[in-house]
Amino acid sequence: MMNAPIIDPLQGDFPEVIEEFLEHGVMKCIAFNRRGTLLAAGCADGNCVIWDFETRGIAKELRDDDCLAAITSICWSKYGHRILASAADKSLTLWDVVKGEKIGRTTLQQTPLQARLHPGSSTPLICLVCPVSSAPMIVDLRSGSTTVLPVSLPDTGNGLAPPSRNKFSDGSAPFTPTAACFNKYGDLVYVGNSKGEILIIDHSKIQVCGVVQVPGASVIKNMVFSRSGQYLLTNSNDRTIRIYENLLPLKDGLKALDESNSGLDELDGVEKVKTIGSTCLSLFREFQDSITRVHWKAPCFSGDGEWVIGGSASKGEHKIYIWDRAGHLVKILEGPKEALMDLAWHPVHPIVVSVSLAGLVYIWAKDYTENWSAFAPDFKELEENEEYIEREDEFDLMPDTEKVKESDVNEDDEVDIMTVEKDSAFSDSDVSEEEICFLPADPTPDAPEQQDKCVGSTSKLADSAQSGSPLSDEAGQNGHAVNQSSSPLEGMDNSAAEDTGGTRLKRRRRPSDKVMELQVEKVKKSSQRMKPSDDLP
Amino acid sequence: MASAATEPAEAFKPYKLKHNLSGHKRAISSVKFSDDGRLLASASADKTACTWSPSDGSLLQEYQGHDQGISDLAFSSDARYLATASDDKTVRLWDVATGSLVKTLSGHTNYVFCVNFNPQSNMLVSGSFDETVRAWDVKSGKCLKVLPAHSDPVTAVHFNRDGTLIVSSSYDGLCRIWDASTGHCMKTLIDDENPPVSFVRFSPNGKFILVGTLDNTFRLWNFSTGKYLKTYTGHVNSKYCISATFSVTNGKYIVSGSEDNSIYLWELQSRKIVQKLEGHTDTVVSVSCHPTENMIASGALGEDKTVKIWTQED
Repeated sequence: MMNAPIIDPLQGDFPEVIEEFLEHGVMKCIAFNRRGTLLAAGCADGNCVIWDFETRGIAKELRDDDCLAAITSICWSKYGHRILASAADKSLTLWDVVKGEKIGRTTLQQTPLQARLHPGSSTPLICLVCPVSSAPMIVDLRSGSTTVLPVSLPDTGNGLAPPSRNKFSDGSAPFTPTAACFNKYGDLVYVGNSKGEILIIDHSKIQVCGVVQVPGASVIKNMVFSRSGQYLLTNSNDRTIRIYENLLPLKDGLKALDESNSGLDELDGVEKVKTIGSTCLSLFREFQDSITRVHWKAPCFSGDGEWVIGGSASKGEHKIYIWDRAGHLVKILEGPKEALMDLAWHPVHPIVVSVSLAGLVYIWAKDYTENWSAFAPDFKELEENEEYIEREDEFDLMPDTEKVKESDVNEDDEVDIMTVEKDSAFSDSDVSEEEICFLPADPTPDAPEQQDKCVGSTSKLADSAQSGSPLSDEAGQNGHAVNQSSSPLEGMDNSAAEDTGGTRLKRRRRPSDKVMELQVEKVKKSSQRMKPSDDLP
Repeated sequence: MASAATEPAEAFKPYKLKHNLSGHKRAISSVKFSDDGRLLASASADKTACTWSPSDGSLLQEYQGHDQGISDLAFSSDARYLATASDDKTVRLWDVATGSLVKTLSGHTNYVFCVNFNPQSNMLVSGSFDETVRAWDVKSGKCLKVLPAHSDPVTAVHFNRDGTLIVSSSYDGLCRIWDASTGHCMKTLIDDENPPVSFVRFSPNGKFILVGTLDNTFRLWNFSTGKYLKTYTGHVNSKYCISATFSVTNGKYIVSGSEDNSIYLWELQSRKIVQKLEGHTDTVVSVSCHPTENMIASGALGEDKTVKIWTQED
């Protein structure tokens, strides 16, 4: 990243406090685009909304008059051109992001709980859908045809599973939702079934290539890969999150599997897929809360795969657990007492976004206190008092040796003002593909009578009129973000208070949960008093 | 185009006056080309801004509505909107094509002196005599951040090429680099002497900043290391906030105005003055380079009141 050399390394890499929350109707599920510049949210009324994550304002609304049921999942195509939304009325809707228009809509036989666009291309033609109570399927976005994937090993034979439309291929009644996800380039689908097995499937041939048994043999509820594709996370009914290392090559996983396959002809079907499975995944870590024995919801990785987060599935609490990849619990984030519906970690920044039952989106960020030495470079920040030892001649006047400004710079050296370095965080960018990183921002015209007033508020031309909240007009028209401490200056005021000096690395003690809850309440109620033209005192 | 190890021996082709654009009734404060090079905008103490065609110098549009003189302006990346910073304490957003006022951003408590869009053009940054830097949401006009940037008027603000950093300069002698998303100060650049800093901008690749100070000096700093790498002198600059820019379309140069009524061009690497463009009759306070063609635009103060376009054609 461009500013990497001057970012303070003392800051931890995971969020600590609620920085803001976003409100627009009742949001149910969220997804960041690849760079985290846009956040898509599906709402309870069937519409979707795209937030400009930098300005925390609404960039675009995807209004759908055909869909009146709640959105169950939302997903971006790789370079941000498309959004796929699944809804409780069994529909899948594909959107053109730039135009803000519907491309197509399919109705399935069951409500899709999760729908994921093929991750390998910028205009994907297929998606992976996990319906509420039947096997995961591949849906062709052009024709609407569905291909059910196997959720169990066939009893005999060569690993090919007979396609089955109505029930699991093991004959069991279709009532357990099954987890499934694409690998990074979408050549394979990983399915987690009710027996705790991970099936690695070539979805073009509908063939199970490998299988891995998850310890505990418990129903697998979620499966997700890290952004790099190197790690796979499973969330099982035995209240354990497991991390697997992906042993296959990231780019041509399927090819590598086919090669393993051909080398193992002497094994029979089941043995073969188990052997191959062991070459695909290896169990790395397990996380659980053995004290509260809480079930997990919406677990996922941080953008760089260094951290894992999981929400508590318990009702009435909004708790997010953060572990490092080695399995140490580093933080529990606690929000206001509403159940957690969805969770996402920003692709690049140490920011987490969570959705509450009430439909608010909370943005969690690092609890940053101003780095004072950035303001005055000859000042050094000390963790504790250091005794200063005066030089013998500290206060002597030595006019001859007044500091002579010696330039140790050779001004003849070449300076390159043009070359830009590649962003290492996005080294898998295909430069031939154009990526949508932001949507054009058209200023909403001021209402005529407001031109003279000293308030830069938005017009009454409402794109959205859905906030039933007590929040003020000027914040409410385009959806809004409510800041807890919007300016660093406010941060300054807070930081002067209550520093216990207890922990050495943190500069400021995290406020207690009670204080935080009160703060959020206060912010919600007092946002009417927050105007953009608030000046420094 | 890779920069050559040594500037080639081919002779520097001098710039000549191509167009003289008159019309403003008071001093020009700022001139800027749009990113696509199709438009040139000028701002003036006469409370208006104008857009001109760079090819024939014709006046395209006038933007009227500010209550006081304008100190700076900026195009959005798609050149559909123009932002102006005025002594009336507001930043205003104009529809470039129609000339109509779209939005007024209020919040600063003193003259707004400088303004710029980020490359995505969803945010604006402005600097003011009230010593703060403000970041604004273009869509809603909301002030997103107020940075306690300096202890004297802020003379320039600029985003780097990916919009992640903001640089600001001030009469307090400092340049500061800010994280655009959080508003936190990343770095302060300070020299032993701290003459008022009249201007600052990022280099095209965002690694360096060009800093102008009121001791007749421009310097190119590597802000990560906190050291300056090049010094450019020979011009006169001790009173006004004169802007400078990089010319990269045909060799690498630094271009700036001067209080001796000329425009100076220095070779980037050797720091030699390769040309002094004469013709203005007052301090040249603003210059801008066309993004693709070898064209320079300049604007001068009250005795002159003109915008001039210079090219390398014969």
